[in-house]
Amino acid sequence: MSLLQRERDVIVNNEYVDKFDFEEIESFIKNAPKELFISHHFKKRDRLLVQPRGGFPTYKKMFALYEEFMKADIDVLPLTVDSNTRLNDYAMSKKMLALSEENEMDMLNGYPLVTHGYRTTRKMITHFNKPVSLRHGTPDARLLVETALGSGIFEIEGGPITYMLPYSKNFPLDKAFLYWKYVDKVCAKYSQLNEPINRESFGPLTATLVPPCVVIVIQIVEMLLSLEEGVKSFSVSFSQNGSMMQDIVTSNVIKKLSRFYADKLGYSDTVINLVYHQWMGAFPRNKELSDSLINTNTVIAAMVRADKIIIKTRDEAFGIPTMQCNAQSVANTKYTLRTLKGLPVVHDEEEEANLEAEVISIMDAVLSDHADTLWRKVFNSIRSGIIDVPFSPHIINKNEVITIRDDNGNIRIIDKGKLPISDKCFAYEKSKVNLPPTQTEVINKIIHDIGAML
Amino acid sequence: MKVVTGVVGNDIHVVANRLIDISLQARGCEVFNLGVNTSLEEFIDAVVETDADILLISSLNGEAEGWCRDLQFLRAEYQLRDVVFVIGGNLAVGEAKDSDIVPKYKSYGFDLVFHQVDLNTGLDALEQYMKDRS
Repeated sequence: MSLLQRERDVIVNNEYVDKFDFEEIESFIKNAPKELFISHHFKKRDRLLVQPRGGFPTYKKMFALYEEFMKADIDVLPLTVDSNTRLNDYAMSKKMLALSEENEMDMLNGYPLVTHGYRTTRKMITHFNKPVSLRHGTPDARLLVETALGSGIFEIEGGPITYMLPYSKNFPLDKAFLYWKYVDKVCAKYSQLNEPINRESFGPLTATLVPPCVVIVIQIVEMLLSLEEGVKSFSVSFSQNGSMMQDIVTSNVIKKLSRFYADKLGYSDTVINLVYHQWMGAFPRNKELSDSLINTNTVIAAMVRADKIIIKTRDEAFGIPTMQCNAQSVANTKYTLRTLKGLPVVHDEEEEANLEAEVISIMDAVLSDHADTLWRKVFNSIRSGIIDVPFSPHIINKNEVITIRDDNGNIRIIDKGKLPISDKCFAYEKSKVNLPPTQTEVINKIIHDIGAML
Repeated sequence: MKVVTGVVGNDIHVVANRLIDISLQARGCEVFNLGVNTSLEEFIDAVVETDADILLISSLNGEAEGWCRDLQFLRAEYQLRDVVFVIGGNLAVGEAKDSDIVPKYKSYGFDLVFHQVDLNTGLDALEQYMKDRS
């Protein structure tokens, strides 16, 4: 028995889950309808796929949510997992699920997938026969992903950096890399049976003034970490920056360079997709204004030629949206996309050349680290600040990079910390910004820039 | 001036913490930032270890209430009378009046309490306090 299989046996042998039948799961995936695989839909490239977020504790309410989404002609169903499951606290999920079922009240902020199990969940997924995307935030997602794949969920979001630096203070990063290696290995194994399992990275990160060069580098390294385990379909992603031009430039550069590095490292048979997240920062408390922001975002997603858009709702400022509100947001987005025709193709050569040079400088530094494996190179790069995510709560993150918006809403680097970008690129960034005279005013401007959409 | 700062309790509000860090550095302080999710004991350890002049705790949405009551005892135990203890942020769950909040936190052992005060206004007041004291 292989080492991986032995580890899998240990992982699924858990007091909170029913016995796993790996043979049965393999045969299910082998014979599963193509419709369930988002990679199959991506290959057609005939439209921008629309996906909301959403998860309720009970099977009954989750089923009802999917029914609402289906009425809105949804492309990709979400399955958002509750926070106890994300932290591997299955005992608490089980208790809260029981309370939710008894009292008709939601005691969990998502669907406890491990607690429901793959046999139950699969009934729902195959009933609707739409691709489902797993949304979580779990550092150790091994059991969760085994359960998801057995259920017919063939898109797995997350990664060792993007699910760690924005969400955790001190979960060990080296462990996260190894846990996600497991996830990628299992996804790769099942990818050989039917259409490939799609892996997606989480580009928004802290959604707080993260410069595009840092986003793109992290997207590329998480992609390479998955590809080296055999993943064949991967989605890179980013969220609205605050300037349409910067979104377009980011899109053009991330598409070009993710393909470049995949080919360079010998993974030219991989399909790479682009996912665009609607604004991930703070939303206005006025619901009509939120609708307007969401609509603007949909236009930008079309402009950047994304393959999938992940949408928000008008209830964003208030908490988890009702299923009707969530489905309405899907319908609105689909309407905007249906009526939006004849989009121009836009380029900004100077901006793209600058961003490309920044990404390549950082990638050169990461890849030339002395460590023997890619994950160790990336680990060392994060520790030394070569990769530095503004506003990350994690102790390993350097937190030296400072950014601010220019007059056109573009995020610019004013303190590069240890980012190995060239003097020329750094001078270009700084030349775009009119910094206020005192440090106090600079900080007030940063506060203002974080809440750009309020 | 050495300042130890961080967010107390099970609180991951990192944005303000980072802005406090940058602002203190801009005012010439040497900053030891413990980040989010920090316990009171960790703060005291850091104050002793760095021989800090100021401990600046921040908090949002009332987390501090349950975490800071023991400050006065720790302050006596470690003989930290000369260290200035400051807390700022949103110090109550729900709405609360300054006239209730400030005396309460002073009784816990803080020298300066800023409830829903703008960041730079608070830091100006802290600077003035340090000047008056010396």
